[in-house]
Amino acid sequence: MSAEHFGWEERILFSSKEIAERNALLISRGLNVPENADLIIGLYEGDTLIATGSLVGTVLQGIAVSSQTEGEGAAAAIVSSLIKNAVNRGIQHLFLFSSAQEANRFEALGFSLLASTAQILAFSDFLEGANGAALLEWPTGQIDNWLNSLKPVVEGKPYGSGAVVVNCNPFTLGHRALIEYAALKSPWLYVIVVEEDRSLFPFNVRFELVKKGTADIKNITVLKGGQYVISSATFPTYFIRPKNSEADTVSIAVSLHAALDLILFRRYIAPALKVTDRFVGTEPYCPTTSSYNKMMKKILPAAKGEGVPIRVHEIPRFEIEGAAVSASRVRDLLRSGNIHAIKPLVPETTWQWLTSAEALPVIKKIQHSNSRH
Amino acid sequence: MSIRKIVTAGSLESSDVLVTIAPAESNANEVKVESIVIKQFGNRIRKVADEVIAASGLKGAIIHIQDRGALECTLRARLETAISRALAQE
Repeated sequence: MSAEHFGWEERILFSSKEIAERNALLISRGLNVPENADLIIGLYEGDTLIATGSLVGTVLQGIAVSSQTEGEGAAAAIVSSLIKNAVNRGIQHLFLFSSAQEANRFEALGFSLLASTAQILAFSDFLEGANGAALLEWPTGQIDNWLNSLKPVVEGKPYGSGAVVVNCNPFTLGHRALIEYAALKSPWLYVIVVEEDRSLFPFNVRFELVKKGTADIKNITVLKGGQYVISSATFPTYFIRPKNSEADTVSIAVSLHAALDLILFRRYIAPALKVTDRFVGTEPYCPTTSSYNKMMKKILPAAKGEGVPIRVHEIPRFEIEGAAVSASRVRDLLRSGNIHAIKPLVPETTWQWLTSAEALPVIKKIQHSNSRH
Repeated sequence: MSIRKIVTAGSLESSDVLVTIAPAESNANEVKVESIVIKQFGNRIRKVADEVIAASGLKGAIIHIQDRGALECTLRARLETAISRALAQE
């Protein structure tokens, strides 16, 4: 049955008037207005917008139905339309962000729940009054496929392994020090590299530099993060540089996304990799990462909640002459053209790459960009 | 005939069914059924799906059926449309 049977008209929303109506509907339902939507759909009854939903990359967000129309199937019409539009764009795997309370309504529409802040008891304390959030996926079973793909990697590795999650944009002696320490303390160590290609150094370069820079450490496996470890699906705000005026709303969104990412890690990834310890460097500069680390220390070791509690080890940043060695410092030096000051901060393998012809377009991009990543 | 791209037919609205067909890794078909009336009609939905798929010659596909209480004629129509869309890509 199509929406027209109820006297509803489906529209793709473009005009500033339509967008304003949609934003007002989201706000009236207590929801955030998603940014950078690729597609915004609305259902109109006459001149009144009664429901809306957005597609942002591979994530459905900003789905709301007006209070007068609730229970008449408008949400199902919106979600169906978003799925069809996504599939027409060649997207086979969708995610959906909703409030924690409404997650079950989307489960009834065929989405499966991956993580909800409701799964961590006493979560309200962590968020200081903000509404909880949930992450779902469609079609069902995608995460199981990914976890199954890890089985050959994990085979024969010990229970009680360690894990670090790194972006390595690019790989520095700071990352190297963290990995060395974690590998020393763990029977086996998984180095999970964020796969999302939204950093200044492309993923294949970051991944190769981690592999080369750690090739001498025998008890580690370097893994691709896939879609379930800090991706634009699980943690969209990680890749956005917040405007100062929005610092408060962004910090709530960052806390929610960080929480969902960590719940996924605790619920699925750590058990699949037989990981019981996670290692992380202290974060002196970046507020997003520092908020992520703070949340990590609360969620991973919590005694209650799904999955096994995971010990978090926060290691002080590796310093040279009193200053922390970080990838952002390397990027700042590249930006200012001070390439020779980088040499003492990175392993030989990263230095070779930075001074190779392959690096020129990346360095040029960094010099013209103001991105946090 | 095998397929390369994901297609859908139908919707998640009440009394309808959403059929999604995606390429599988092997040459066999895999049918997944979700339904709000799985206890009463799960077997019948599966039987209808197998019948329509077998008649179409579709191979190497994951057929995902999300039923919201569709009548059998609706289910058949959605399956046939999705399969013809999947095969039209050749």
